[in-house]
Amino acid sequence: MSDRGDVLFQITDLCKAFGSNLVLDHISTEIRKGEVVVIVGPSGSGKSTFLRSLNLLEMPTSGTICFEGRNITDKKTDINKYRQKIGMVFQHFNLFPHKTILENLTLAPIKLLKKSKEEADREARELLRRVGLEEKESAYPAQLSGGQKQRIAIVRSLAMHPEVMLFDEPTSALDPEMVGEVLQVMSELAREGMTMIIVTHEMGFAREVGTRVLFVDEGVIKEENNPQNFFEHPSNPRLREFLSKIL
Amino acid sequence: MEDFQVKFYTNFIKDDRYMYLVKGLGNTLAITFLAVLLGIFLGFLVAIVRSTYDKTGKGKLPNMICRLYLTVIRGTPMMVQLMIMCYVVFGKYNVSKLIVTTLAFGINSGAYVAEIVRSGIMSIDPGQLEAGRSLGFSYSQTMWHIIMPQTFKNVLPALANEFIVLLKETSVCGYIGMMDLTRGGDIIRSRTYEPFMPLIGVALIYLVMVMAFSALVGKLERRLRTSER
Repeated sequence: MSDRGDVLFQITDLCKAFGSNLVLDHISTEIRKGEVVVIVGPSGSGKSTFLRSLNLLEMPTSGTICFEGRNITDKKTDINKYRQKIGMVFQHFNLFPHKTILENLTLAPIKLLKKSKEEADREARELLRRVGLEEKESAYPAQLSGGQKQRIAIVRSLAMHPEVMLFDEPTSALDPEMVGEVLQVMSELAREGMTMIIVTHEMGFAREVGTRVLFVDEGVIKEENNPQNFFEHPSNPRLREFLSKIL
Repeated sequence: MEDFQVKFYTNFIKDDRYMYLVKGLGNTLAITFLAVLLGIFLGFLVAIVRSTYDKTGKGKLPNMICRLYLTVIRGTPMMVQLMIMCYVVFGKYNVSKLIVTTLAFGINSGAYVAEIVRSGIMSIDPGQLEAGRSLGFSYSQTMWHIIMPQTFKNVLPALANEFIVLLKETSVCGYIGMMDLTRGGDIIRSRTYEPFMPLIGVALIYLVMVMAFSALVGKLERRLRTSER
């Protein structure tokens, strides 16, 4: 287990309500450097909302999120600076359709990290090579398959050298035969030691690559464990029911 | 045929009457061009204020001012706005008619452009804003680098249509004594008592301009569309 690493996220009593609907109900947990935390749970359980609160795409209603010891829910925090360190991969890729693949990768490093175009291009090509898409650099997103788009979305985030990567159901919008190529890129990333927080329905992936699995239901972490115990000895009845339905 | 030649001569050649059309056309183009620039500027500004309010809830007062502007401009006739601009707003000042007309048409066009652009902004997938923000771009940087370029491409046909409407609508500015293309043709008619030639001529000139402009926009649209192949 890799919970020897420094604490990256310290989440305390995190609540999020949409109107009168309490989606996250006092969630507390911590996430350490190098962990691959997989979050599973039924739809509508709040798992995506939890992930999205970590980079403040959802503003918590109450509670605190500390990143490297700094409270990011504090109004004084520069959210934009903070988000540069947090990579995010979406279910629907959200590539920029009006830009080429290379421009998708270099836009943020050039504008935000103030890199020269040459340097950004060089790094972007290196990243494209890593995911086997170097020949697509001048293509536009619409010309790519879903799996290719998602691999580009992953390296677009990596181009900012994030300290953590958040994945919000990265394979849910893909045709079945394209799921593998995306999971492979994610596995490699995990092997290189990237801290990752992943919301997914890919239980095989959770078991193989995850270092810790969280079961979120009704806005609460109902169970968390290492993958082996999580899948083989689930104790929470809701989790047992959930696993029996999907495995 | 001889009749046609004679009429053509009296309406356009004699006493250099074609100069009415040339001068008028120059003014029509100048008014349209300047009003389009002002309209785009106002329209994009208002659209950004309005959609920012819709998306983030920020800027309540600017949003209210913009809504008032849209309601008033879209709720009153262009001709009335033009006359108010000329006789009420600038009534006591000696300002060139070209400036008065440009302002009136630019402010009018801005209201229509604003709603076109706003619907364009709102039609962009919210995931684009989230992707931009999650990379660390601020709201305005995301608007500038990611949302607006896509918006512009999507609204181009509707914008082109608005400018065609504007070009034709400037024909009412003769009302405040502005010498535009329509007015030019009308002056010829009043000299020759011969409506057919000058008015059909004027109509043809408008038609050719609109067709040329449409073709130009079509070309631009195809160029911007490369990313969708």
